[in-house]
Amino acid sequence: MKPFAFTWRTSLLAAAGIQLLTATMALATDVTVWCWDPNFNGASMNEAISRYSAGHPDVKIKVVDFAKADLEQKLQTQLASGQTEGLPDIVLIEDYGAKKYLLSFPGAFVPMTGLIDYSKFAPYKVELATVDGKTYSLPFDSGVTGLFYRTDLLEQAGYKAADLQDITWDQLIDIGKKVAEKTGKPMFGIDQNDAGAVRIMMQSAGSWYFKDDGKANIKDNPVFKASLATWVKMLQTKELYKPVSGWGDYTGAFNKGDVAAVFTGVWMTGTIKANGMSGKWAVAPIPKLAGVDGATHYSNLGGSSWYVLSSSKSKDAALDFLKTEWAGDVDMYQKILVGQGAFSSYLPARDGEAYSAKDDYFGGQGVWASFSDWQAKIPGVNYGVYTNEADAAVAAQLPGLVAGGSIDDAITAIDAQLEQQMQ
Amino acid sequence: MSNAESRRGNLAGWAFIAPAMVLLGLFMVYPIFWSLWMSFQTGKGLNFKFGGLANIIRLTKDPVFQHALSNTMIFLVVQVPVMIVMALLFAVALNNPALKGRAILRTAIFLPCVTSLVAYSVLFKSMFAVDGVVNHTLMALHVISAPIGWMVEPFWAKVLIILAITWRWTGYNMVFYLAALQNIDPSMYEAARIDGVPAWARFTRITIPMLRPVILFTTVLSTIGTLQLFDEVNTITASAGNGGMPADSTLTLSLYIYNLLFKFVPNYGYAATVSWLIVLIVAVLSWIQFQVAKER
Amino acid sequence: MKNPLALIGSLLAQAALWIAAFISVFPFYWMIVGATNTANDITSGKASFGTHLVENTTKFFTTIDAPRVFGNSFLVSILGTILTLAVTSLAGYGFEIFRSRTRDQIFAGLLLLLSIPFAALIVPLFMMFSRAGLMNTYAGIMLPGIAAIFMIFYFRQNTKSFPHELRDAALLDGLKEWQIFLYIYIPVMRSTYAAAMIIVFMTSWNAYLWPLMVVQTNEMKTITLQLASLASAYTPDYGLIMIANVLATLPTVLVFFLLQRRFVEGMLGSVK
Repeated sequence: MKPFAFTWRTSLLAAAGIQLLTATMALATDVTVWCWDPNFNGASMNEAISRYSAGHPDVKIKVVDFAKADLEQKLQTQLASGQTEGLPDIVLIEDYGAKKYLLSFPGAFVPMTGLIDYSKFAPYKVELATVDGKTYSLPFDSGVTGLFYRTDLLEQAGYKAADLQDITWDQLIDIGKKVAEKTGKPMFGIDQNDAGAVRIMMQSAGSWYFKDDGKANIKDNPVFKASLATWVKMLQTKELYKPVSGWGDYTGAFNKGDVAAVFTGVWMTGTIKANGMSGKWAVAPIPKLAGVDGATHYSNLGGSSWYVLSSSKSKDAALDFLKTEWAGDVDMYQKILVGQGAFSSYLPARDGEAYSAKDDYFGGQGVWASFSDWQAKIPGVNYGVYTNEADAAVAAQLPGLVAGGSIDDAITAIDAQLEQQMQ
Repeated sequence: MSNAESRRGNLAGWAFIAPAMVLLGLFMVYPIFWSLWMSFQTGKGLNFKFGGLANIIRLTKDPVFQHALSNTMIFLVVQVPVMIVMALLFAVALNNPALKGRAILRTAIFLPCVTSLVAYSVLFKSMFAVDGVVNHTLMALHVISAPIGWMVEPFWAKVLIILAITWRWTGYNMVFYLAALQNIDPSMYEAARIDGVPAWARFTRITIPMLRPVILFTTVLSTIGTLQLFDEVNTITASAGNGGMPADSTLTLSLYIYNLLFKFVPNYGYAATVSWLIVLIVAVLSWIQFQVAKER
Repeated sequence: MKNPLALIGSLLAQAALWIAAFISVFPFYWMIVGATNTANDITSGKASFGTHLVENTTKFFTTIDAPRVFGNSFLVSILGTILTLAVTSLAGYGFEIFRSRTRDQIFAGLLLLLSIPFAALIVPLFMMFSRAGLMNTYAGIMLPGIAAIFMIFYFRQNTKSFPHELRDAALLDGLKEWQIFLYIYIPVMRSTYAAAMIIVFMTSWNAYLWPLMVVQTNEMKTITLQLASLASAYTPDYGLIMIANVLATLPTVLVFFLLQRRFVEGMLGSVK
């Protein structure tokens, strides 16, 4: 039993004196990693560990997985309370939360500028983890977005792959109406409570809830207004989508073949490929916002990066591990792309075999190469400290807007709520 | 009772409650004083300063808090009475020795409260999905003509939460009543029956008064439980890891506290203030409930 | 003999009970059906038994260190239940024999303690436990739950129905309070204990927020924590999650079935 072992070890160490203690410390190159999905980032990490361990038998790296919200709760509490005992050496943080941790807990993470060649990573991933010229993350999976669609259903409605290139969201709505009319199936499964689409649209035009100085960027932000208005318009077009609630229902909609398309992050590829509809899917870039300066077809949803904690006792081993595997091992990236569907933001990885492969599931399309191209063009934005607060404020206004409420009133309310939460 | 006897009783009484008091002292007193002290501090994380009544003033200006408070009160006013009455009626019906299948019924109705939170939320989310089994059944029975957006429409989301809590805790409360019913002497009912007292009157004149302590007990506890409602609204009416959906229509005070502590940039002082407001509400409501029980 | 109105009433009551029982049990049926199906079957709403039980079960035992997580859960729950029952029933009895005005004041105080949302206490408790070196230990997981105020209330309430004549007679016979507690109170109150045991075991088995803060390694995880991490995956394997749910719920259901007999005995056993 643990408490017993603990006392026993403590007294033994006390008896043996400080020399033994330092000796033990010197030998201890245990590295602990916290992440959240045992089949995705956990499995990817384990792949990296097994490759690294082959050349470094003295370093023992262990993965501990918690539910994502749980990991964030634990990390936040430990950092905020200043109790570093029990913190891991490496932790996975979702990109939206990067600035919150870096700015709220200065000094808690080790900067890796100088150690890592960041020019080899997607620029937007580097930017989101950079504070005062120092970058703190080892970028892991990308959330580059794409419009996944069923070629068979779109053909029935009279659309070809070229019809989905370089369109606006408004054009997509028209396509969706036609698809519903011709096939009887809605274009999307949409969870009205999820503000993810607004985030995708905002970033595609290089804007966010916050300005570079961290202040709220809600009022007088044309990109935010256009994103919100576009999303509300989509939600108001009832024939465009099947309402879903929660994750299982959302992924179920396209897994069951109930809907014709989904626009989301590249990490959804694995889920899409798990539903046995080989040859019926394809990917296009997402539509862009109409009438907005700087609008592009490239954006990001989710994605995460590895961070090393300053409290780590095995900092050097942790950094060396990240540098060797995650910033140098192109083969490892091929392996986790095939095995776990983890699409990397390490640019050299795209020259590997797996990244250039054509995929029969997507009708022979070179999907990974396309995603690689799009990823390089994602506008970098400042995710800021209060993204969760902003999301909550937006979600609170959505039903009212869908029911026909005024966009300007909603923006005023979102701004007021966000300002309130930021104090 | 003589003084000596009473003193002896007190001494033994103290000895019996000592272990519990020591443990509570260790694990509650420090956290409670910490949170009380924090409720007068403002700032994020552990960078805070004395703010006096700033947090209380903030409560009056915070629309999210006011929304959470009114949601919590709606849950309290609707859910607790429904559950208590149902649990009581089930318990009395099950206590009838002539009833067939008592053991099965009792077990079945109690069962929901043993499920773990994760299992419960996964199940409810899938059963109440827009094209889930519940909507299918209701449509097949012609109760509704179009599927209900249980987790999409603010009104139905509240209904869903009330259904979920009632599903989970009615049997639990029923067990308390069943256990307490065992302590009523059957001869009281026998005598009443012989005197021709009808069943309903036996219920109101014997059962209710005899169960009054345990009814008070479960009511107070359910009130506290509902004021702290968190699990369901953080998992069932949640989307992309954010609870209280849709549009904060199921946001409760406890969930707001949780968000302030763990989801948002942590604001310990403000979260502590909201917590103490719950304590205040419980104090007032319990006092009322005790008065009502006493007067009867 | 019975009048027709009473007969209708009793039939209605029976119907209501059976409907309630059906609604109560249905989600369990849903969960068991899910455990026999693939993730795709489950998301497409298949409501009949499938053929993937063995596959799901095998996956469960290969992805999860089942002996370890179940072992942790059992250890924490069994030990926690014994200690909780001991501490809280002593207190419940103590409060009943304790006759002074302080009693009611302490009691009101306990009620207020109970009304503080646990989330608000997590941060200071965490700091205490971290400084005391209790992180990632079984003791750390169990300790805050032992003096469960709720259970003190429960025992106190039930002690009110404990026949005082028994205690008075025993006092006249020269028995000490601890002897009365051990030899008279516990046996007489066994139905109370049985119900309490079900509730406390269930609470510690399903405990989530606090164990989450204390547990730092895979070796110390309880099944409840493990379940949460399975359910939050990007591509949730619902077949695996359902079998995990079934297996994680089984012990609490078993405890209930085992103690239910006691419960019934307690009913028949005379508390007059």
